[in-house]
Amino acid sequence: MSGAARLPQAFAELEPFVDSWGSHTTAGRLAARCERSMDEIRVFYEAMCARAEEAIGYVDRFGLDDLPDDARNLMALVLGLAQAHVAIEIHGQPRAPGTPWPNSIRIARGLPFLG
Amino acid sequence: MNITASARAFEGKTAFTEACGLGTGPVPLEPYRSPEFFERERAQVFERAWLLVGREEEIPAYGDYFATELLPGGVSAILNRGKDGRIRAFYNTCSHRGSQVLDGPTGNARRIVCPYHNWTYATDGDLISIPDEASFFAVDKKRCGLTQMATETWEGWIFVNLQRQPEVDLRTFLGDFADRLAGVPYVAADKPIVLKADLDANWKVVQDAFIESYHIPAIHKKTIAQTFSSSENRFARLLDARTFGPHRTVSMYGNPTMPLDERNKVEMLAYASGDTGSLIAAGTSSQMAEFLDHPAVNPTRAGCWSMDVNNLFPNTQIDFGPGGFWVHQFWPLTPTTSRYEVRFYVPDALNARQRLQQELYVARVIEVVLEDLANVARTQRGINSSGKDEMQLQDSEVGIRHSVEQLLKWVEAETVTEALA
Repeated sequence: MSGAARLPQAFAELEPFVDSWGSHTTAGRLAARCERSMDEIRVFYEAMCARAEEAIGYVDRFGLDDLPDDARNLMALVLGLAQAHVAIEIHGQPRAPGTPWPNSIRIARGLPFLG
Repeated sequence: MNITASARAFEGKTAFTEACGLGTGPVPLEPYRSPEFFERERAQVFERAWLLVGREEEIPAYGDYFATELLPGGVSAILNRGKDGRIRAFYNTCSHRGSQVLDGPTGNARRIVCPYHNWTYATDGDLISIPDEASFFAVDKKRCGLTQMATETWEGWIFVNLQRQPEVDLRTFLGDFADRLAGVPYVAADKPIVLKADLDANWKVVQDAFIESYHIPAIHKKTIAQTFSSSENRFARLLDARTFGPHRTVSMYGNPTMPLDERNKVEMLAYASGDTGSLIAAGTSSQMAEFLDHPAVNPTRAGCWSMDVNNLFPNTQIDFGPGGFWVHQFWPLTPTTSRYEVRFYVPDALNARQRLQQELYVARVIEVVLEDLANVARTQRGINSSGKDEMQLQDSEVGIRHSVEQLLKWVEAETVTEALA
C-alpha cells in the first residue's frame, strides 16, 4: 500500500482494503471475492458493514458523476460489499458450490459508473 | 399496477401442452448432439430466420455503430445509423481484400475506414475513397460498397436476416407474437449491461434451462429458489404458456418481491429503505407502472408472479419481470458448445444506494449463470454418452417441447413460408 491516503480521512481505518476490495470494476471486485478465503472475506465484510451507512451518506454529498478521487475509492469499497454479500449471505463459502474459478463468464459491458 | 391487488391464487394443475396442440410423447435427443443436425440447423434455421441483434437506442446518433458476431459461422456484422437516420446492417468485410472494417464492440464512425489500407466508406456503405486509386485497374467504386445485410426493426428491436433477399419480412416472421407484444414500453434501453459465457453444451441445452422453472428449486436452492417456488407450488409450475407460430411465451410463478433477512447486513443496507425492486431485475417499481400494466406482462395477473419468458424463434428470450426486461441469447458454436449472452437494462443510478442495489443485482445474476453453466455442461455430457435417445418432458417444460418441434419443422421445410405454415 502506498503512503498517501486514498480515502476520505474519516474512513482512514478502511485504507487496508483499498488494494484488495477497491477495484473500480465489477470484474475486479468479483475476482477479489473469488480469490479469497472466507476468513479474509469476513474481515472486510464486518469492517465495511460497520461504516457502510456513513460511507453512502458521504458519497451522496456529491453527485455520482462528480466524485472526488477519495470518495470514488470509498464508493468502490461500498460496491465491494455486493461481492462479500454473495459469499457471506448466500453461499456460506467464497464461491457457489460446484462452480469453476476461473470460468468463462465475462462482463462484456459493465454498469456505466465503477462497473 | 399493484400486482397484489388482483391476487389470483395459484390453481395448481396445468394442461398447457395439450392447449398448445402439442403431443405428450418423449422428445428426441439427437438434435442436441448430432453434427449432421447442427449443420442443417445452421443452414435451415440460423441462415433463414430473423435474428435479434440489439436495440435502436444503442445507436441513437449519426455514425453510431455496434459490431456483432452472428453464429454459427462467425458472421461478423456491423449495425449503424446513417446520416439519414436509417439503421443499416453490413457484413464487416472490406471490398478490397476482405479485412474487417470495424472492430467494435461499439463506437461512432461517420466515415468507416478499413484499418488495413484505409479504404473509406460512408455510413450508407458507399465506397468514398481508395488510397492510390491510380494504381488499381479501373475499380468500379459504385459496385464496391460494403455488402448490406437485410435488417428491419420492430418495437425498437433490431433484427438481421442472412438471406440476401429474405423470403418473408420481419412482421410476417413475428406473426401474432408481434401483436401480443405491441406497445410494451422498454425503459432505460440505451445502455445494456452485457454478460457473455462460452458453455460446454449445445445451445438448446442452455436455452431449455431458461424456459422452464422446474429446475429452479433444485439447482438454484440458495440464489433464487425463494423467488420461483413456495409451499403452495413446490415445483415451480407455470402460470401460463402459449405458442405463436414458431415463438412461445411462458409465465412463471413466484414471489414478486425479495424476502429480506434481517441477519443479512448488506441486503438490509441496500434494500431496507423501502423500494426493494426485485431479486431478478434492477429497476425500481415506481418506474415500472406502465410496463407492468401491459397485458403481455404478467398475462394472468397472478399475485404470485416472478417473470415471463418471451422466446423469439430461434434463440432469443425477451424476459419481463417486476423490475423491467432483460434478454438472453443462445448462439451455437459447435454441436456441443455455445455462447450465452445476457443483456440487462438499468437506468442510471441516482445515488450511492441505488448503485449498490444494481451491483447486488449484477453479482447475483452472475451467480445464477454460474450455477446454470455447471448444470448445462453436466447435461451435455449425459446426452453425449448416448445412453438415452429421448427425453421425458412434463407440462411445465412445454416450451422445450415446442422448441424442438419447431426446429425439426424448420430443418425439414423447403421454404420459410412452409416452415411458418
